[in-house]
Amino acid sequence: MGPTPLALLLVLPLVGTLVLTLLPAGFSSARIRSVAALPAALQVLLALICWQHPPADLQLSWLPTLGLSLDLGLDGLSLPLVLLCGLLTSLAILSAPADQNRPRLFFSLMLLTNLGVMGAFLARNALLFLLAFELVLIPLTLLIATWGGERRAGAAIRYLLYSAVSGLCMLAAVLAFAWFNAAGPGFDFADLASAELTPEAQRWILALLLLAFGLKLPVVPLHGWQPFTYGQASTPVVILLAGVVSKLGAYGLLRFGVGFLPEAWTAWSPWIAAAGAISAVYGALNAIAQTDIRRLMAFSSLGHMGLLVLALAAATPLSLQGAIAQMLAHGLIVALLFACVGLIERKTGTTSIPELSGLMNPLRGLPFTMGMLLLALMAAAGIPGLAGFPAELVVFEGSWTAFPVATLISLIASGFTAVYAIRLFNRVGFGRLDNTHADWAHTLWSERAPAMVLTVLVIAAGLWPTALTGWSEAETAGLAVRAQPFLLGASGPTIARSSTTLVAVTLPSAPELLPS
Amino acid sequence: MTPPTAAVTETVRQPLIPPSTHPYADVIHRLEAGGSMLPDTPENLMQIIGIYKAYAVPMDFYWRDLLYIAERVFLNPLPAFKYFISQDYLDLPNSYAGEQSKLRIWRGGEKAHPELLEFMAKGETGKLPKLLHHLWHDRINMEFAEACMQAMLWHQNMGGRFNDYLASDAYRANADRAIKAYFRGNPLMLGLYRLFPEMFMEQVKQMSYYANLGLFWEVMAPVFFEMSDIYDEGGFKGVPDAMDFLVNGIFAVAGRPIYHHVYINGECIEIIPKSEGFTWLYEAALPYVEAVFYRTAPFRGTKSYNAQAYQVPAEQADFHYGILYADVFPVGSAGIPPTLLMQDMLHFLPPYLVDLYKNHKRGEADQLIQLGITFQRSMYNVTSAVIQALRGALLYPLDDTDPEHLLANRRFFEAQMDRFLRPEARLPQVQTQDYR
Repeated sequence: MGPTPLALLLVLPLVGTLVLTLLPAGFSSARIRSVAALPAALQVLLALICWQHPPADLQLSWLPTLGLSLDLGLDGLSLPLVLLCGLLTSLAILSAPADQNRPRLFFSLMLLTNLGVMGAFLARNALLFLLAFELVLIPLTLLIATWGGERRAGAAIRYLLYSAVSGLCMLAAVLAFAWFNAAGPGFDFADLASAELTPEAQRWILALLLLAFGLKLPVVPLHGWQPFTYGQASTPVVILLAGVVSKLGAYGLLRFGVGFLPEAWTAWSPWIAAAGAISAVYGALNAIAQTDIRRLMAFSSLGHMGLLVLALAAATPLSLQGAIAQMLAHGLIVALLFACVGLIERKTGTTSIPELSGLMNPLRGLPFTMGMLLLALMAAAGIPGLAGFPAELVVFEGSWTAFPVATLISLIASGFTAVYAIRLFNRVGFGRLDNTHADWAHTLWSERAPAMVLTVLVIAAGLWPTALTGWSEAETAGLAVRAQPFLLGASGPTIARSSTTLVAVTLPSAPELLPS
Repeated sequence: MTPPTAAVTETVRQPLIPPSTHPYADVIHRLEAGGSMLPDTPENLMQIIGIYKAYAVPMDFYWRDLLYIAERVFLNPLPAFKYFISQDYLDLPNSYAGEQSKLRIWRGGEKAHPELLEFMAKGETGKLPKLLHHLWHDRINMEFAEACMQAMLWHQNMGGRFNDYLASDAYRANADRAIKAYFRGNPLMLGLYRLFPEMFMEQVKQMSYYANLGLFWEVMAPVFFEMSDIYDEGGFKGVPDAMDFLVNGIFAVAGRPIYHHVYINGECIEIIPKSEGFTWLYEAALPYVEAVFYRTAPFRGTKSYNAQAYQVPAEQADFHYGILYADVFPVGSAGIPPTLLMQDMLHFLPPYLVDLYKNHKRGEADQLIQLGITFQRSMYNVTSAVIQALRGALLYPLDDTDPEHLLANRRFFEAQMDRFLRPEARLPQVQTQDYR
């Protein structure tokens, strides 16, 4: 198939934004919401078509003097994330209230965020990636600053500052790739893959990349913006932030760090794994202590990002597969969590745990929403049969041999998920529903729909784990810098130039694995 | 400009005693003026009368089945069909209602209420075998009535002489005769009785409480039916009228007998004979109000109480988990909050209450809770009637001119209101219509 679908993936949100601004004044907020969700839904459809019929790469010269070209491509790493981005954007838009304030601007900014993230996932040129990466910052900052909690302005400024530093680091890393490349400057991924960098240059670039993407994920100790911003941003925005934008950081680490700097990555991986394990523990323990559901979810997300970083650090074929699976599973689960929390907040007017109780009450509570929240919490805790389990299992299995201590710590931290999940549900779901406060309308099917779609996907991914792990088997195997655990003892992998644009690992051939 | 003022034509009566400083001073002043704990509003009147009607229909089944169990099922070790009341008991004429009654006070009462008979015939699901209705819970939920009886049995000492009598030799002798008669020709049960006599005695005591509660509700059902009829005829002008009707009813039957007779093989054994002189007010009504409205048990409701954490008082008299304190969110239990009673009442709501519930909160989706809260309001009115009746029986008239007497009344009312100072009490909530 030609490259048209790739261009369409970017054109759709742009057209959507344009259409939104041209809609007649009489359009209700709910109808504007439906129109806004359409481009993202079409992206999902397009991505599924691309899955069945892989498109050719799109290569258009843009600013050749700068080395910027519109190189777009779709492989096993980006395809699932493109799908996730389209899906969560459409569901995030649909999870906005029917009477969304200033809907045209709100949904336009949502679509522009989608454009940025989608561009980054599709980019095959580092400058293009950087542009898309930076583009995300502007609409998101406006979204946080304009719609959200009482302290949204502070949250937006904090997000802006952290993201600006992240963007600067990314810019420096991209420039450094070109400047320190002995083979000559170039921003195409192919150039980056074949860059001849000194070990010292590699280390500096990796440090910059770790800062840039670590801030985006985020990971401890770069997470300062996250709990506050997740706590203040409106529900659709936080779904997009936690479900999609954070994956940009993980994708960047995988694409740039593991893919283009394998030796430096290998050298630094123990520290990266340690950061992952610390994030997992720090996130889980903080989640236990929270008194606000949104902040609890934020720290929970931080903990799960820690698992993701651990898997990336291990960089075995299995752990990288686990990393992709974790990106998808976490995206679905965290979106479901925030969709449910959004419904609770919309109906009860609060997300404060001490103020809520008895929401499972069948007549005056929110039993349907709480049922979905319970399922999401179970999925986050890694209960078998739901999306979180296969992802975490593959992460732990893949990382165990490379970093047993960090894996063990992360495993224990993962166990804490059950602690805060039960604590949260026990306090919010059960107990006395105070009649003086229980005066809210029940949720409508249209309000529940986004969360219901996510619930179905979380269950489906748990019952059919290939939906999480099957997208990128070839690519992750090619990117691995360590052997699969069961291959240890045999001759290790050798880093070699593959025929693709990415650095690949040539696994030992079958006869080498046979015992002598 | 000075606004025009209406000429004061009525003589303002100076109060003989100073205003109360109690936290519920407003309620106390209302009680002193002959009112109810429930504010006198047209909606309150509509709610309580409507729910009395919805309560009276299942209650008409409760009292019949309670007597049926106490008098006929008695000690059946496998009482699987105790809720399958016999036709005789369904047709039993009420002792206080209708022309045929021994002491006609209220209307109707020739046999079970027509709405009850209609519901028993087809329930919600339609005409099905009685057993299927029972298993599907498409029936009158006697479990609520039994939970009330158990609350009375468990709390035991709540005034009157009834409970003391259950430990007397006379009672034990009568119970022994009934047990032996009931199990005549059954060596297994008689052998068990010889081995564990107290277990059997305890069962007979429970049966006596079945009879006690059955006789109590035999009075209340026609009271509530007639209140509903009067309201439909435009008779009550306000909540105090409704309360006065209850007070008058209480006085009318206060001295009626509470007894326990058992019918075994055509023989009537008087376990508690009428000649013992137990009366409706002191041996049934007051213990019932105390046990069910105030105390009940700390095991039900939307909050779990932890005795090991000293959340449950050591003294049963300090228990306050009754309907006047309950969260009425249905939690599926038989007792308080009265989930099963709410389901029973739902079948017999008058149309004006159905319309009222549709217009508030979640409409039809949560009318179970709304009617439960209406029930709670109505029980505050019944409790007010009991308090006024007690005041009338033990203290002084409200229009007494002796300040000492009025102060005695004041102390009585304040002592009663003290029981609602605890945070669980719903008295503050029922003062407004927002509580639904």
